[in-house]
Parts: sequence; C-alpha cells; structure tokens
Amino acid sequence: MLPWMQYRWTSLCLLVAGFGTLTLFLYGYFPLKYNSGKLSSMDDLPNFIDGVSIDGQQVYNSGENSVVLMVIDGLRYDFVTEWYMPYTGQLIKNKSACIYVSVAEPPTVTMPRIKSPERKKEKAQWRRTINFWRDIFAMMTGSVSTFADVALNFGAPAVRGDSVLRVAKARGRRTVMYGDDTWLRLFPGLWSESDGTTSFFVTDYTEVDNNVTRHLDKVLAPDENKKPSFDFLVLHYLGLDHIGHLEGARSEKIKPKLGEMDQVVKKIYTAMQQWDRNGVLIVCGDHGMRDAGGHGGATPSEVLVPLVVLRSQDFVCPHPLGQGPTVAQVDVAPSVAWLLNAPPPGDSTGRLLPALLPQDTRQHLYLLHVIAQHNTKQSLPTDTEVYRQFERAEKQFAHYLATGQQSAAKVAKVFYEESLEKMAEYLASTSTDFDTFALVIAECILYLILVALFSVTLYSVQPSPRRESVSHHAHRSHAGSIVAFVVIFCIANFVLVTACYISETKSQVCAFNTPWITVFAFLAIALTVTYFFIKTGYQKIRDLSIFKDANAVDNLLILATPIFNFSFFGTSFIEEEHMTWYFLWNTLMFFVLVKTLMVFTIYVSKLWVGATEVQDKPELKLRMATVGVGILPKWVLLIALHRYLRTMNQTGDRWLFLPDTADWLNAPENSIYLQAHLVIGTLATLKICLSNLSYLNNIIKVHSVFTIAAVLCILCYRVATGALDPPLFNSNIKSWDPVFIVDLFWAILLAQFIFEIISYIGAFKSCGLEPIVTNTPESNKFVYNKPKAKTEDYFYDSMVEEPWNVDEVKLNFVRSMTHMMLNDLMLIVVLLMRPHNVIMVPSIYVTCALTSQCIDHKLLDPKSGNKYEVLDIVSGTLAHMWIGIVFFFYQGNSNSLSSVDLGSGYVGLREYCPARVALRMGLHAYAGPAIAGAALFADIAANADTWQQYLKTIWRATNILAWHRMYAVTVYCAVCILFRHHLFVWSVISPKLLYDFVATVFSIQALATIAQIEALAHVTNMLARMFTYKSSL
Amino acid sequence: MFSLHNQLELRKVTISSLITCIYLPSIITVISYKGILYSVGNGSSCYVLALIFCAELLKSFYLNSSKDVHARRNKVNKNKAGDILRGFVFMLCVKFAFFIGIILFGAPVLECHEETLMLSSLLTLLTIFPLILHTGVETSMQLLFGIKNYGRDTVIEMLVNNALMTICGAWLGAVVIPLDWNTPWQKWPIPCYLGAIGGFLLSNVLTVLKVSLMSGATKYPILNILVHVLNGFQISK
Repeated sequence: MLPWMQYRWTSLCLLVAGFGTLTLFLYGYFPLKYNSGKLSSMDDLPNFIDGVSIDGQQVYNSGENSVVLMVIDGLRYDFVTEWYMPYTGQLIKNKSACIYVSVAEPPTVTMPRIKSPERKKEKAQWRRTINFWRDIFAMMTGSVSTFADVALNFGAPAVRGDSVLRVAKARGRRTVMYGDDTWLRLFPGLWSESDGTTSFFVTDYTEVDNNVTRHLDKVLAPDENKKPSFDFLVLHYLGLDHIGHLEGARSEKIKPKLGEMDQVVKKIYTAMQQWDRNGVLIVCGDHGMRDAGGHGGATPSEVLVPLVVLRSQDFVCPHPLGQGPTVAQVDVAPSVAWLLNAPPPGDSTGRLLPALLPQDTRQHLYLLHVIAQHNTKQSLPTDTEVYRQFERAEKQFAHYLATGQQSAAKVAKVFYEESLEKMAEYLASTSTDFDTFALVIAECILYLILVALFSVTLYSVQPSPRRESVSHHAHRSHAGSIVAFVVIFCIANFVLVTACYISETKSQVCAFNTPWITVFAFLAIALTVTYFFIKTGYQKIRDLSIFKDANAVDNLLILATPIFNFSFFGTSFIEEEHMTWYFLWNTLMFFVLVKTLMVFTIYVSKLWVGATEVQDKPELKLRMATVGVGILPKWVLLIALHRYLRTMNQTGDRWLFLPDTADWLNAPENSIYLQAHLVIGTLATLKICLSNLSYLNNIIKVHSVFTIAAVLCILCYRVATGALDPPLFNSNIKSWDPVFIVDLFWAILLAQFIFEIISYIGAFKSCGLEPIVTNTPESNKFVYNKPKAKTEDYFYDSMVEEPWNVDEVKLNFVRSMTHMMLNDLMLIVVLLMRPHNVIMVPSIYVTCALTSQCIDHKLLDPKSGNKYEVLDIVSGTLAHMWIGIVFFFYQGNSNSLSSVDLGSGYVGLREYCPARVALRMGLHAYAGPAIAGAALFADIAANADTWQQYLKTIWRATNILAWHRMYAVTVYCAVCILFRHHLFVWSVISPKLLYDFVATVFSIQALATIAQIEALAHVTNMLARMFTYKSSL
Repeated sequence: MFSLHNQLELRKVTISSLITCIYLPSIITVISYKGILYSVGNGSSCYVLALIFCAELLKSFYLNSSKDVHARRNKVNKNKAGDILRGFVFMLCVKFAFFIGIILFGAPVLECHEETLMLSSLLTLLTIFPLILHTGVETSMQLLFGIKNYGRDTVIEMLVNNALMTICGAWLGAVVIPLDWNTPWQKWPIPCYLGAIGGFLLSNVLTVLKVSLMSGATKYPILNILVHVLNGFQISK
C-alpha cells in the first residue's frame, strides 16, 4: 500500500470517495418524500364500500358553505379567553363555538426586527417566506413539508403540489385573500381576488391590520340572493405578532389588539347570520409567542395555538367545556376542502375537525372512509395493523350500508377513528424521519476516509519520505497484498451485512436490490481501502519533527483550523460563522503584525546603533532584503483594508439588517463612488494580471494584448448593463448587446489559452516567431534545448540519456498554466461580481501575496534552514485557505440559502440553462476560495526550483487541502446527526450542509484542475518532442 | 518562571497580586450590586477606571518602595514633572493605539466611540500603566518591542504576564458576542471589558497560587508538578 500513499493523487481519489459518502449522507438526511404532485378530483371519491355501492359525490356533498379562515399571527392559546376576547370567549362558553388545541410546526426564523434597507428586502423576504412556509403549507396542503420542498423550490418558493386552493379553483369556488402577501407568493394564480400587504415595518401594528379589515364590509355583505360574494376567504392579521416582537406578550397593547380581533370575529359571525347558506369561521394562530415576545422555539407557549371553529347555523360544540381536544395543523386542509365540496388535496394526511362532522350517520361514516382511504394512499404499507384495522372498519361500514344496523355503524366509527389516529402517527413519523442507518454508516465511512487522508497527509509532511527504500519492497508481496485485500474486503462485507441484520433497519442501503447493491459494494470497498491506508500510515509515519519547529503563527494556523469546526455545535456559530472567521483572521493578522514588528524594530535599532552589528548578522539583512522595510506599513495597510472590506457586506443573521457600505454605495446619490470602486477594482486586476504575465510565454506581447482586450470587454459589459457611465467620447457602447460582449470575452480567454499551448508545443518556431532573445536566461525558458554541447547523433540516443531540458520546460509550462488560470479566474470573477464587490478580487490577490511573504519562516525565524521548507508549505496552504474563506464572507455570503446571488447566474446568458447558471452562481459564490486556491498553486509553481520539488510541494498542498475538506465535512455531518431534531434544522443546519456539499464539489474540481495541468504538461511535452523532431529534420 | 532567589521581590509580587485579587472583585461586586455592571461601557462609569488607576498607583508605590535608596535618590534628582508628563503622553499614545487596534479588529467604526474609548482606557490602565510606573517610559517601550529582555526581574515578569493575560482575556471575551442569547451583557464592549478584567484577575490569582505552591514545594516536592503546570499558563516566554 505504500506506493499508493506516495501516489500524488491519492488524496483526490479519497476525496472523491468522501464525496460519494457525503451524497449517501445527504440521501439519508433529506427524506425525499416531497410532493408527489398528485392532483385529486371528485372522481377519486369511492363509489363502492367493500362491494356495496354508494353514490360518492352525493353523500360527500356538504351543502352550500362559505368558509372564512382567519389567521392571527402570534395568537397563542391563552389569548382566547373571556378576558382578552370577550365575544369569542362567550361563544365558546355557549357551545356556539368549539376551541381546539392545535400544535404548530415550530417556525423556523423570526422576522427581521427593524426596517431592512431596500436592497436586502429580497433576502429578508425569502426568510420570511420560509418562516410562514411550514404553517401555511400544512394548513393548505394538509401535509407536513420537508426541507426538500424548500430546497427544490429554490428562489421561487411557490407550492407546486395540490392544495385546498387548487381543488377549490378546480371546483369553481371563489377564493379571496386579504393579508400578508406571502400567501400570494405561495399560491400564485389561485386567488379570485386578493389584496396582499407587505409588513416589513414591525413598528406598524395598526395599519397592517386595517388594510385587512377595510375590505371586510364589502366582502361580507350578501348580494341580492343573500349569498356572500366568496366561498373561501383568508384573512391574515399580523399586528399581534408585531406587538409581541416589539413589547412582548405582557404588553399593554396586547389587550386592545385582541379586542380588535374580537370585534372582527363578531362582525364576521353576525354577517354570517344574514346569509342563507352555512357560514363557517375558523380562527387560528400560526404560532404562539414567548413572554418576551419572540418566537422560534419549541416551548408550549410558542407551539400551542388555539383553533376556534364557529358555524352560523344549528351548531353545538360536541366537546365538553375546557381546553378542547388536540388537533393538528394539517387537519385544516381536508376540513376546508370538504366544506367547499371539493375532494381532499392530493398529499393531504389530515383528518376532519370533529366538530364539523355531520350528524347523519351515513355521511359521517362515508367522510371517515374517504379520509381514511385517502390517507392509506400516502405510501402506507398494506401489511400493517393500521391497514387491517381500516379494512375491518370498511367491512363494518359495508355491513351497515347493506343492513342498516346501528351497532355496525358504531363499530365502524370506532374502527375508523382508531385507524385514522394510528395513520396520523405513522405518517408523521415517516414523513420527517431520517434514514438513520444510512446516516450512521455514512458518518463512519467519512470518519475512516478522514483518518486515511490524515495519515496520507502526515506521511507527506515528513521531511523526506524515502522513495528508494520502498521500491524493492514493492515486488515482494504483490500476490500477498491481493490476498490480504480480498480477505479484508470479505470481512468488511461481513461486518456491514451483520450491522444490517442486527439493527433490523428498513434502510435502502440494506435492501440488497439492484441499484443499492452497488452502493453497498462501494461502502465495503471504502472500508477496505481506508483500512489499508490507516494501517500503512500507522506503520510508516515516523518523523513528525517539523511540528516542533512551529512558531506562534504556525501553531495558530495548525491548531485553530481543526478546533474551529467544533464551534458548529452551537447553532449561532453556524449562523454567524463569519464572525468566528473574522476573529481568527484578525488574530492571525495580529500575530503576524507583532512578529513583523519585532523583526523590524530589531533590524532598525541594529541599523541605528551601528552598521558593524548588521554586518555581523548578514542573515538578518538577508531576511529584510527579501521583503524590504516596507513590509510593516504594507501589513498595517492590509489590516486597514480588511477592516474596510468587512464593512462592505453585512452577513449572517442577527446583524443582517444593519446598513453596510454596499448599501451606501448602491444609493443613487453615491453612484460616483460605486463606479470608482468598480473601475479601481477592474484596473487593479488588470495590473495584477499584467504582472503575472511575466510567467507566461509572452511572445511579442500577445498575451498583454489579450488581457487588455478582455478587461476592455469587462468594462464595455459594465457600461452596457448600466453599472458604469459611458465615457464621453463614445457613448453608444450603452446600446451594445451585453451577451455578445460576454461571448467575445470567453472567446478571448479561449484564444489566449490555445495560443499558450501552441507556443509551448513549439509550433511558432516554424513560422519564424521566436521569443525575443535577450541576455537574461529567462527569455529562452520556453525553448527546448540541450544544455550540453550537441552531438551529431543525439536523435538516436536512447530516451533515458536524453539531455534535453524537459523538466525545466515542464516546470515553466506549469508556472505559465497556473498563472494563466489565476488570471482568467480573476477576470471571470470580476465579470460576475456585483459592482461594489469587484474591489474584492485584487484584494484577495494582494492579501495572498503579502501573507505568504510575511508568514515565510525566512522572515520570521532567526535560524533559517531547510527544515522550515515543509512547515512553510503547511502554514502557507492553511493561510490561503483561511483567506479564501474570509473573502467568501466579505463578499456577503452566509450559511443561509437566501444569500446566494441569483443575479450572477445570468451574466451573459439569454435564456435559462441550468448547468451554465449553476456554474456561474457557484463560481460567484466561491470566488474567494477559488482565487485564493489559484494564487496558492501559482505561488507554489513560481517558487519551485525544480520540477521534482514542484511535484512534491503540490503533493503536500493537495493532501492538506483534501484533508481539511474531509475534516470539515465529517465534523459537520456529526453535528447534523446530533441536531437532526433541532428546531433550526431547516433554517440553519441543512443549508450549511448543502454549502459543505458544494464546497466539496469545488475542492474536487480544484484538485482535478491541478492534476489536469500536470497531465497537460506531459502531453505538450510529448507533442513538442514530435514537433521538434520533425522541424529539426 | 519565578525564582526563589530574591525572597523580597517574591514577597512583593505576592502581596501586590493579593491586593489585586481583593480590590478588583470588590469593585465588580459593588457595581453589579448597584445594578450598573452593564453600563461599564458608558463614560459615566469613569469612576471604575479612576479606582483602578488609584489602586494601581498605590500598588506601584509599594512595589517601588524598598528599592535601593540611592537609586531612588538619583531618580528624584531628575526632572520628576517631566517624567510624569512623558508618562502621560506615552499612555495617551498607547491608548490611541489600542483604540485604533480595537477598531481594526472589528469594533464599530462610526459609532460607539465612547464604548471603545472606555475599553482602550481600561486596557491601557491594566497593561502599560503598571509597567510605566515600575520601570519608566523608555524601559517599558523597549520591553514592548521585545528589544530588552527582562531577565530575572520577577516584578517585571509578573507585570508583563499580567498585561498579556489581560489582552488575551479581552480577546477571548469577544467570543460570546455572536451568540443569539440576546442577553444585555452581549452588548459592545461589555464582554471584552469584563474579559480584560477577568484575564488580569486570573493572572494575579495564578501568581499567588504559584508562589504559595513554590514555597510549599520546598516542603512537599510533589507540588512541583503543579508549579510546572502553572508555568505552562504563563504566556510571556
């Protein structure tokens, strides 16, 4: 196994395996029971009960009803009393109304506390929509939603499946909505009439409700036939919740507000008496509130909400006085659907509210049957006790229909109710259940892969792993290792199968059917391979002395990186992850500042005291000479720059609403500063790109022309999209087509790449385009030549003795490629970024360059030597990673799905194309890590002395990167398992898991790119040999 | 690592640390009983700083008291008023540097200047002020930039250690700010302010503990292990 550990891309392979395991984890974590999309119709109503025929549609008919659903935001259970709401309380006491305890799905996020600036409205809107999502979803579709429902509806949170409103529309009912416009966004096009109000001003608790109430008189007034003008009316009152947020549940303002709500109930109830059809009023809260006023928790005062049912005619509540039975929020959907004479919505799993069930035994039983049968269709297995109970009930019902025996009816009713109760339990548990077996297995495998990667990494950071001593071991046990592999593979299989049977899991992993058997085999192979890696690592890792020489900065980087991940065990640290990173990054900058300051003062004071002492210490002079005295002011300026960039975008959750620099820049009156940011950012990028071109094969400045042309394209694009005012002399750029400009931009980048490859192959030589020969040795670095004196017959030499400078050219090629990649990446990101964020791009580069200078041990440590070489790689890699993450947050990203910038996905696209949009969005979101990574690899290539050293450095750096990614994923998956029933699992924990997933994809992509560049070096080398061979002939 | 050679210095260090361990918690207890603990960021709570200032001044008189009489006389002969003035100017500079540094570290830029100033004053008082009192401006500046090594001077070692622990306390105090507990003490700059005081206090407690353990270790050598552990806590190397 040792050759495997020494193989350069082992970490990449392990990372890919880890990615596969992560996918399995995601499968187990997000139950893919999202909306079936099944639409129900009246024809679904059964016409035969166990062979006895019955006219379904006629029995189902509930008569003429008008339903009013009055949702009072934040209405908690103890608010519906005679003290707060006298009229309603009286009705409940008279048994003219029924009160139920309804258990709300814990809401996920609370509202933004104060007015959000205009630009952030979209983000806040999204969060609010998610907040209402579960409650409204449950009430209108009758099914509990899962995270998949939200994630798959990304960006356009509309309910796609069946809902009460869909069936009502299909039956031609008139639906009216007054209140929060979230309802309109969730069910677009399903309302006959609506007036949505936005409620961002939490200080406004009268106007939002008046906007709802003002329509009441008109809409409740019956027409000439004494019919109201609607069939289903939704009223959503937000004022109470706003008061709660402002002043808490004990506020003085609560009572008048509830009195106002009571008046609304009275108004509706009296209006209902005027109609000649039945009116039903359902008053409920969507969630409660804490005494402090907030909500979002799972305490009884937040979760228990009242549900009051009033009926205009001949209604007596069947329940005794008191707190009332418990119902679920999903029960509203089938009840309303039935009242509207529409079938229960396709995905509904609720029951009918008991108070609404008719007295007529036949209809009563039929309704129970319809609901029970509907619920059995929701993926309920037929071999359970619940199902058999349902069948027994059906038999009794059929018996009653045939004979009319009341005793059969009673038995049927009891059976139906029992089976419905059990079904509700079963469906609630399966719809939100995780595939625990898959989760645990995936986590174990992830852990093993992590340990394997860890041993590979530790192995690679040993000062000099001896390859020579291995080569003669390798042959010895070839067959033996195969046998060992097979044996371990069998054991792994055995362990997995035993785990399957002992845990008696229902998981798909243990289903042993065709698609899943491959997953199973993959798991077994992963187990086996990681076993060998860990074993070899345990045996071969001997020399970890490099960590003994670590200074404070190294220690910070090496220790803080793994410890940081454990902060995720607090959910606020997930939400506010950027704070932790800013904190760590500040600390690092401070450490470096102190170190630099020390070196600087020692140097200056020695210089001041006398020149002789400096001469005594030539290495001190050397250290300063490499970076110059300017390093200290530069570093201080960098800290200031970072402080500025941190104010650019507020991110996270708690302080999201605070105005930030981006808000200020985007205000119309400050557009001149915004444009200045844009231009400075773009031009600074141009300058960096041009300076990077010195590593390229810049034959007669062709690359400079390409780069400048690309930057011109970007500027034209900005002008064309209106982000930049056109220059005076040519103002018709504004009318150019942005898509064409972006296409041209891509063409330029592609042409540049092809030109570079061809120049390496040496094709231009034949055209007479030689690089301009100067005296520096750099100028002919791209030419294959023989350092030795030419002999006549060198073409006939064997390949081993080839004296050509192949390795040197390969190294130059890799240098050129990595720098070109860095340049292109920066230019593309500049194109994609929002105007105020463009300044980030040169900042990342400058930060990377300065940091790698400052944490270099040549500067910081008095004794320089070879032993710091590996430590330099370790801390350099980790530092670049930190920079990437810090910029990820500077740019305004967070661990919430709402901060993904959808706009960047459509740059230079005419129509929606999922792959391209996703790529652009991903690159935009991960611009920081991507550029920092590219800068790291360019830096490695630029600083390598030989091709062999380059390969070794790359090997170490990729190992560290892969290890860190795997580490982050493993720890976070453990957090996910631990918090799977946490209240914030939707709003905080799951989105971060998706972010980690995407980050893993990008890491694999980055490492693969480096592997490709290396492969390309070999390929061009081969091609060049052919070309040179031919042209020389 | 303290040495047992200079019993006098050791005693001075212990007593001054003990005084700190008494007066600082008393101040905190009194203001928290008064219910104004969470207003330490406001300018109105300047008296806390004044109290600390007086206490540190008295402590430094004690620390400097039994120095060599001749050395004292030499110093007195110099321009005392100028010394004090220079000390104040230097402290103002350090305070300003702290102010800038805290803002660079993430304190609000445009508002809360009062709070940030209070924090930087506290940090100055707890870190630089005792050093200046004990050694004078030049030496403390040299100590600051790492040019001068304090060698075996136990008192200076304690002071530098206190300063470092104070900074660390303020630094660690910031950890609680992002938590969503919505408590009044998460407001800027209370966590850092209290963290600084806590760090200072902890450093003093550790000093007392270590000296007592060291003297105990002469009788019971097993205690040396604990001393060794405590030495690990010391940041000043």
